[in-house]
Amino acid sequence: MGIEKNDPKLTAFALGELDETEQAAIQTEVERSPALRQAVDEIRETAGLLTKELQGEARIGLSKDQRQAIEATAVGAALLPMTLRAEGGLGCRLMESEPRPQGSDLHTPQGIGTTTKTNSTGSRRLRRYWIPASLAASVVVIVGAGYSLIPRTFSSLSRARELGPSGDRLVCAENAKGINRDIERTALLSEESNRAEYKRRMAPTPGDGTVVAKEGEGRGVDLNFTGGGLATLPPALYSHNVFLSLDPRENGSNGYQVPFAPGPNEAGAQRLAGARSTLGWVDSVEAGRLRMPPDGDAFSTEAFDAIVESPFLAIAQHPLSTFSIDVDTASYSIIRRILNEGALPPPGAVRIEEMVNYFTYDYPQPMGDHPFSVNVEVADCPWNGDHRLARIGIKGMEFAPDERPPANLVFLIDVSGSMQGPTRLPLVKESLKMLTGELSKDDSVAMVVYAGASGLVLPATSGHHKQAILAALDQLQAGGSTNGGAGIQLAYDTAAANFIEGGINRVILATDGDFNVGIVSQSDLIGLIEEKARSGVFLSVLGYGMGNLQDSTLEKLADKGNGNYAYIDSLDEAGKVLVDQIGGTLMTIAKDVKIQVEFNPAQVVAYRLVGYENRMLRARDFNDDTKDAGEIGAGHTVTALYEIVPVGVEVELPEDIDAEGVDVPVEVDPNAIAAADGVDDEEAEIDPLRYQTVAGTAPVAANGELMTVKLRYKAPDGDVSERIDYPVTDLRLTLDDSSDDFAFAAAVASFGMLLRGSAHAGELTYDDVSELASTGLGEDASGYRAEFIALVAQAKALPDARPAGN
Amino acid sequence: MNDERPATGRGWIAEVLDQYEGPLTRYAARLTLNVESARDVVQETFLRLCGEDPTKVNGNLPQWLFTVCRNRALDVRRKEGRMEAVTTGQAEVRAASEADPAAVAEHREGAAGAMRVLSTLPEKQQEVIRLRFQNGLSYKQIAAITTLSVSNVGFLIHTAIRTLREQLASRRL
Repeated sequence: MGIEKNDPKLTAFALGELDETEQAAIQTEVERSPALRQAVDEIRETAGLLTKELQGEARIGLSKDQRQAIEATAVGAALLPMTLRAEGGLGCRLMESEPRPQGSDLHTPQGIGTTTKTNSTGSRRLRRYWIPASLAASVVVIVGAGYSLIPRTFSSLSRARELGPSGDRLVCAENAKGINRDIERTALLSEESNRAEYKRRMAPTPGDGTVVAKEGEGRGVDLNFTGGGLATLPPALYSHNVFLSLDPRENGSNGYQVPFAPGPNEAGAQRLAGARSTLGWVDSVEAGRLRMPPDGDAFSTEAFDAIVESPFLAIAQHPLSTFSIDVDTASYSIIRRILNEGALPPPGAVRIEEMVNYFTYDYPQPMGDHPFSVNVEVADCPWNGDHRLARIGIKGMEFAPDERPPANLVFLIDVSGSMQGPTRLPLVKESLKMLTGELSKDDSVAMVVYAGASGLVLPATSGHHKQAILAALDQLQAGGSTNGGAGIQLAYDTAAANFIEGGINRVILATDGDFNVGIVSQSDLIGLIEEKARSGVFLSVLGYGMGNLQDSTLEKLADKGNGNYAYIDSLDEAGKVLVDQIGGTLMTIAKDVKIQVEFNPAQVVAYRLVGYENRMLRARDFNDDTKDAGEIGAGHTVTALYEIVPVGVEVELPEDIDAEGVDVPVEVDPNAIAAADGVDDEEAEIDPLRYQTVAGTAPVAANGELMTVKLRYKAPDGDVSERIDYPVTDLRLTLDDSSDDFAFAAAVASFGMLLRGSAHAGELTYDDVSELASTGLGEDASGYRAEFIALVAQAKALPDARPAGN
Repeated sequence: MNDERPATGRGWIAEVLDQYEGPLTRYAARLTLNVESARDVVQETFLRLCGEDPTKVNGNLPQWLFTVCRNRALDVRRKEGRMEAVTTGQAEVRAASEADPAAVAEHREGAAGAMRVLSTLPEKQQEVIRLRFQNGLSYKQIAAITTLSVSNVGFLIHTAIRTLREQLASRRL
């Protein structure tokens, strides 16, 4: 071979640039030749010299301004670069979706935060916090619910769109000369209405909630609680003015944001103490630490509403039972997740109707004029042998995949910091990829993301161009805080822009629901979605994540947004919701579906609707088409269970059944109802009773009917409801005679009752539930029923398996 | 409780800045022959980086950075019409004059003449030498950045080292 001294390869060898084989080969040669060895040494010596000299060369770098401008841009994450230069040398970053002006110069945020805050004297003052430039990276800006700040002097910002009621959030900088600027508030809530709203929503419960210190661009930093409910601020935040968001667990809504200055800062301590008196639950402030009263159990910020179980109602006072159907399935997935983590779910997470509806039942397809079939089965009540159990099952019409109308979908994806973690954004991506796989060229997908700001990351793209959609999904990253309101607005605007008449128009929201910027009050968010629902665009809410899942908010969003809510905790679940049940998830075949049941007093003394507590309607709402109710998707089954006390059986009825918390329709004297003529006036009337007249029981009551089930529904794009009446006769079936589906549905319901500690569970045990479920296993092609039985065993095995009765 | 890590974008960018801000600016200055322009070029490079997906770029970061920087720098140079060849010491002086004076002084004193010799070499050799010995890049990376072939790069480095060696040796005599 003979490598020469002067061979570039020798240099490459000397510098370690050759691959293994060549390196080894030349090594051999070098070892054999002193001349080569010397050459190599010389090369290396020179190389060393060069390295030393060059690395010692004059250092230059970016200016501080430039560097900070880069960092500021980075905070916006991969979403939207947005920096505007304004006159007078002020730079601002607008958290909104606008293209960056070409050649814009970038200025350093030098760390001024502004906010409004309410203080205990009731006046609203602007506060400006000056923070040294060296801490510029830790600028704190919080905008509380309903506030926003837009500097008046920035003409370039006047074209900023108003994103929802609370507008945009702004981080502003000033140059060293400290130019004053005017801050203008947009949507304002008076302090009185804030406080009233707050009180309305909260029962002051000690120990609830999490303290979230917001640092930087409103990015949340969870404080770590120690056992006694002490939260310690990270030392890095000690010298900063930090805002706390006190987030009550119940109702899932954010409380107020109050400033909290830790450390020996009297003013800070006082401010917080003031907050305590307003909010009623911050116990005390120690230097650098915030003490929350103990008694809080899990320190997650998951928010589940409290549920008050419906009691038995006497027919005499309540001949009519009215409720909205619900196809959400989230509660079951959530319970499954929590049980698999080895804990019992909070009672507020147990929505029995969602558990029962998680499973599909073998109800027959509709054959008549209506888009769904109604099927009722009555048999023994498994948990009380004296009672009957009536199962009302609705089956939505199925569509073959190629019969599905074209879909205009907007994926609305939460990419805020809280969406990091394998069960969150990555699972969202996989879920939506699965869904994308089911789409065709007639469908279109657009993608909106939201974090601190929102942006359209994929314009409406044909379902044919799957690569583009998948690529857009792949690029998503989590970071920042959560401005859900802005995202919702943009998503619906996008859906509206691509509206398909007669097709499927739907926003698919994937989030943990942890909104903490912009519109943060649950009621405002829901108000926004209600308004948006009127546009004819439907909604699917996919909940992800654990520890901060805002179940309550998500359920309400789906409810008010004409939508369905599912909780996705695994690829399997994603497949179920977005592939197996894609028809149901995407295609609404009937909306505002309400059920009203009238019981026959000749047969029934009292009844209890199992579940549907937060779906109850007033009797007159049944005929009122302006009242919103649930949607049924293609192929969906909806099941409702009534526990019925037959005539001749004694039942204990609660004394004051209209007590606070029980949302029963305030019925009047049945005579008055019977006297109504049932004609729809301007205000919807309650139907005249079938089984009762002014004089007492109607003759028809003697026909042996148990009850009449009435349904109202509208076409997806319709405004006038249609009605189905379905009289039911009890065929005296025993539990053995009943169908598998009946047994299984009853088993799921009883599981829910046990998990809730229901007073009606009687002597029911987990073993009873498993046994009942086993008799109803049926084919179980999907394996979900078997999974349920395993879950029951899991619950039974937990230490606190049977919580004390309610 | 979920453990919040810093927002991916911002934390990552800061790290990359720490590591590459200086080297890139130094590198760009050689190309633009003007420190201010070099700073702009580097800033633009980083801003472009902000728009990239870290997982895509991380495997290849120095290459990406230097390539983007180089292209931008050459654009700038073309636009600003400074096409004259780098003459002896010219670039060095310019760059040095706007750099940290203390470092400059130290550099001048400590130089065994290696830097002076280096500055007499053809531009391409200088660039490649700097990429290798100042920025620790491999032949492959350098090839990608400069759009040369790996053997070109090898040849340039080899020649530069040899010239340097000969010149230094002859000076010492």
